[in-house]
Amino acid sequence: MKTTMQKKVIVIPCSGIGKALGSVSREATYEVVESLRKGVTETTCLALITSGDEETLQLVKTNKCITVDGCPLQCAEKNVKLAGGELAASFRVVDTLKENRKLKPKRVTFLDRDGQELASLLAKQVAEKVDELLKE
Amino acid sequence: MVDLPEKKVGIISCSGEACVEGTISRVATRLVLEKLRPEETVTICLPLFLAGGKEERAFAKCYPTITVDGCEKQCAKIATERYSAKPASSIVITDLTRNPGCSRSGRRKLDSHALALAEKAAERIAKEVDQVLDHWR
Amino acid sequence: MSEYLQTVFDKFELRVHKEYHYAEDGLWAKIEASKVRVGVSDYLQRTGGDVAFVEVARQGSAVERQAEFGTLETAKTTVSLLSPMSGTIEQANGILSEKPELVNADPYGEGWLVILAPRNLEDDLKMLMNADQYFELMLKKLETEHKKLEVR
Repeated sequence: MKTTMQKKVIVIPCSGIGKALGSVSREATYEVVESLRKGVTETTCLALITSGDEETLQLVKTNKCITVDGCPLQCAEKNVKLAGGELAASFRVVDTLKENRKLKPKRVTFLDRDGQELASLLAKQVAEKVDELLKE
Repeated sequence: MVDLPEKKVGIISCSGEACVEGTISRVATRLVLEKLRPEETVTICLPLFLAGGKEERAFAKCYPTITVDGCEKQCAKIATERYSAKPASSIVITDLTRNPGCSRSGRRKLDSHALALAEKAAERIAKEVDQVLDHWR
Repeated sequence: MSEYLQTVFDKFELRVHKEYHYAEDGLWAKIEASKVRVGVSDYLQRTGGDVAFVEVARQGSAVERQAEFGTLETAKTTVSLLSPMSGTIEQANGILSEKPELVNADPYGEGWLVILAPRNLEDDLKMLMNADQYFELMLKKLETEHKKLEVR
């Protein structure tokens, strides 16, 4: 019996280690793939994409991808594009920050309350985009 | 002219999202940067490094680096060798965490066991930093 | 010959434009015929963080030296912008409402904040530092205040 592989949306954060925004991107991604849209989304390591890992490249080329970048440098988006991934949407934590000016995430290693809240708000936006992409 | 410290060690962590060891790698690296060796280390942001970040690549070319990878695929080490120079030292978290307890921790939020492993890894990285700096001085 | 004085701290390259004049807090002034262009130094943008919003006083507003004419809201804090000289705001950099990241990416060029018609140019210039002086100040600040430039 043939099994059809269910298409998933791959959510790829930048996970930048130098800024709180990178930690927020990572946390937002986990919120989507482990909670809000569990089962229809997956994440993968950006570094594996760039290093040319075959399995990972196959994943991002055959499924729609959403990148979640911390800052305007947009490393996740750039790297996924360079690798030929099927980039369907891009998000930047800094844009969600602009919509929620009272939030000022300061901690990097373990997110503070503002960082958690920002991640949660961004995760909802990403989840909505996932729904749109799955309908297409 | 102010005398700034000449030698710092760049720590390049994988931060892999796919597994708990990637999170341990990230947390361990941050602990070294924030607490254990704040004045002797800088972090090199791997995504920025991969995307062509000038400062990240220049630093890794001119200064000693330590790569910290979550798993045997060693993305941080490979990228550093490819774009800058061979790291002075490389650590793989799975080598330090050969313990079934670790795999039960979520990758998103480390449980107490995984956090303890991150702290242990941080100590190990800090020792490597000391050795690298001793060699360079 | 580079138009900048520069140093590297941690992994960050910090530049000071040789032609500009600087207030202690890192606002710079560039004389352009009878006008003065104002922006923030590399050091200020680096320590302030990723800029999310730039707000400055309206065109036509009078500003006093060392009085607030705007704010930079970054990911981690709000930076008060104090005018390096007295005058009237002739133009604000409109691109920054769409691309505030230009303040980080190009603080001495496209990331400029306002253009002033100065009121006391000669006297106000005397209160500012030249590039060499600001560079030395920046090095001292790096050593004493900022052991690390990275966010903790």
